Amino acid sequence: MKVVVDLARCQGHARCEDLCPEVFATDAVEGKCVIAQPEFPPELEARVRLAVRNCPEGALRIAKSATGAA
Amino acid sequence: MTLHFQPPAPDHVPPERMVDFDFFAVPPGMADPTEIWHDLVRQGVPSIFYTPRNGGHWVLMDYADIVEAYRDHTVFSTYQTPVPPIEPFPVVQPQGVDPPEHNVFRRLLAPLFTPIAVRGMVDELQRRAAGLIDRFAARGQCDFIADFAARYPTGTFLHLFGLPEERLDEFLALASTFFRSTAPAERADNITQIYAVLDALFREKQASPGTDIASTIVLARDANGQPHDWTDILNCGFLLFVAGLDTVTNTLAYIWRYLATTPDARRYFRDRLDDPDAFLRGIEELMRINAVSSLFRRVTHDCEFRGVQLRRNDRVVLPNTIANRDQRVFENPQAIDLDRAVNVHVTFGVGPHRCIGSHLAKREVMVSMQEWLRRIPDFELDPAQPPGAAFGGSVMGFDSLWLRWPPR
Repeated sequence: MKVVVDLARCQGHARCEDLCPEVFATDAVEGKCVIAQPEFPPELEARVRLAVRNCPEGALRIAKSATGAA
Repeated sequence: MTLHFQPPAPDHVPPERMVDFDFFAVPPGMADPTEIWHDLVRQGVPSIFYTPRNGGHWVLMDYADIVEAYRDHTVFSTYQTPVPPIEPFPVVQPQGVDPPEHNVFRRLLAPLFTPIAVRGMVDELQRRAAGLIDRFAARGQCDFIADFAARYPTGTFLHLFGLPEERLDEFLALASTFFRSTAPAERADNITQIYAVLDALFREKQASPGTDIASTIVLARDANGQPHDWTDILNCGFLLFVAGLDTVTNTLAYIWRYLATTPDARRYFRDRLDDPDAFLRGIEELMRINAVSSLFRRVTHDCEFRGVQLRRNDRVVLPNTIANRDQRVFENPQAIDLDRAVNVHVTFGVGPHRCIGSHLAKREVMVSMQEWLRRIPDFELDPAQPPGAAFGGSVMGFDSLWLRWPPR
């Protein structure tokens, strides 16, 4: 499983980082999402999905294949 | 019933979309002024309606439409939007300009307010909150607004702008007039005073810069290596002054009133003082339910939006409190659920103008709650004092909140 961010949509709310800091961080320049661990382990799936659903911009999605080409 | 509007409806507004609604008018005795918005929902007003009050403006009532307006600056501009209109009004930087011009000052300010930057301010925020609370904790009583909620964000502003603590009362007075005065002459005079203070401040920082935000703004260079236009610099300072004070003050006031009347909520946060992730999740719910701000937009050109004819320069009001309780988006939206799993509230807006200070604001709320609950774990409304008078407008609240607790 892999999570991807659309940086054109991301506005730096940082809700993803708050909900799952193991996978998401934010940069120091714009405060936008940085995916520290795109291919996350299964034990984090529930929290990654929660982060995706809590993005107010709808900027995150889970890709089905490891290449991110869902 | 025939409604006699003054002034009459513009001719592009169909009668079925007319509602007589003044978002500044709060009936006497109403404790929560945001209820005037929720009354509209209960009355079943159209999801897009027009009121002739306050210069005339549209109101969007659906989460999806409010979000769309926040995102689409090609229709819903932030340029000179005050409701009721104030003209001329400063072109505040960067909030009052649309992309791509918006990016210039947004990029300049963004690094100063990222989550990383705000984490670096936590010690200072804690020290300030603790210092204020320690002044009255032993007394067993305070007016939360005068003694804490107004002083805390204003003190933070002074710190961020590299200004001495001695100027707190001066800035409190400037902010108080700006946010509460309705007398046109006093308002105009107040804005002139704020600009004079900012002008002197930026000149001082230009001559002897520090590491504060004012210095960063005044020292910044544009794409051609030149200093930014002086008017833009002042307008940026103005935005930072007005955006982060009243919003935080009234959000704190709402939260403390809720805590004072809800022992379970006090316990919830007390039990999580050492678990910042859980604490923060609870705060997101408090931010959703206590959305004190409504934002303004101005229509850029004649167009149709969701089948409604909009005209260039029409004002549009976006009530966050309404978006945040849209039942199509939030499960059981009127309930305060501190463990709410999915919470895409728009208290800080969405899109390119998402509140740049949101991380600082949330941290101010979190630190205030932590420092308070460690010192004053239980408190209640003071029955010997009258409830504060509620006020409406773009930022809603009430003017006092007397609390009491067992003195130490």
